[in-house]
Amino acid sequence: MDVVCCPLDKADLDLDVDDRDGEEILAGTLTCTECGEAYPIEDGIPNLLPPDMREEATA
Amino acid sequence: MTGDDRDSGLAERRGVDDAVVYQPAEDSGLLAEAAIDRAHGRVLEVGTGSGWVAQQIADERGLDVVGSDLNPHAARQASERGVEGVVANLLSPFRANAFDTVCFNPPYLPTDPDNEWDDWMEHALSGGESGRELIEPFLDDVGRVLAPDGVVLLLVSSLTGYDEVLELVADAGFAAEPAVEESFPFETLTVLALRRE
Repeated sequence: MDVVCCPLDKADLDLDVDDRDGEEILAGTLTCTECGEAYPIEDGIPNLLPPDMREEATA
Repeated sequence: MTGDDRDSGLAERRGVDDAVVYQPAEDSGLLAEAAIDRAHGRVLEVGTGSGWVAQQIADERGLDVVGSDLNPHAARQASERGVEGVVANLLSPFRANAFDTVCFNPPYLPTDPDNEWDDWMEHALSGGESGRELIEPFLDDVGRVLAPDGVVLLLVSSLTGYDEVLELVADAGFAAEPAVEESFPFETLTVLALRRE
């Protein structure tokens, strides 16, 4: 998805694909090219919450 | 895994999602009406909840729509409706100038801090003590992600303070025009169309 960036510093994200179904990326990781923070993609949905909010949201 | 297993797993998951995700109501209908009329280009719906409004825009206008929500259950429901679901805090992970249309039906009910109930439904409904606690940071950042000729469609309830929201809109550098308005017994809902001044 070319509309997303790192929520912390707005830098570009690198995509690593673990599982895909044609065009759709089902699982993988988006990693910030600046700060190195990694954001998971699960069930085709990227979780781009900053790390402190991500912990809270999955609890 | 058999097909049956998959189906019952999905049904179960959907049951959980429905219980913790804001489902379409009058405000959703009004925002969809305004958005179907005015959306163009690439569309983002912030706080998409069930994804119903985003889906209406995608279906009626054939536009690409991203639906974001703080609640992962909501992002999943939106995704099941064919919307591109993203888990996000307001506009923070979206690029500058990425969207031509940004829609937002914010959690807007003024809530007594002693009465906050701290679950997904509260996040979907409560706008904090003023009712404007999410509208302010949204307006502060929306100019960044909006393309130069972009439009913001913001739902405002009279419960949230219409004039106070108009002031915040002006402070953020936008001109506001009511797109649609409807009165209900306890509140008047307005969708404001915002453009850069």
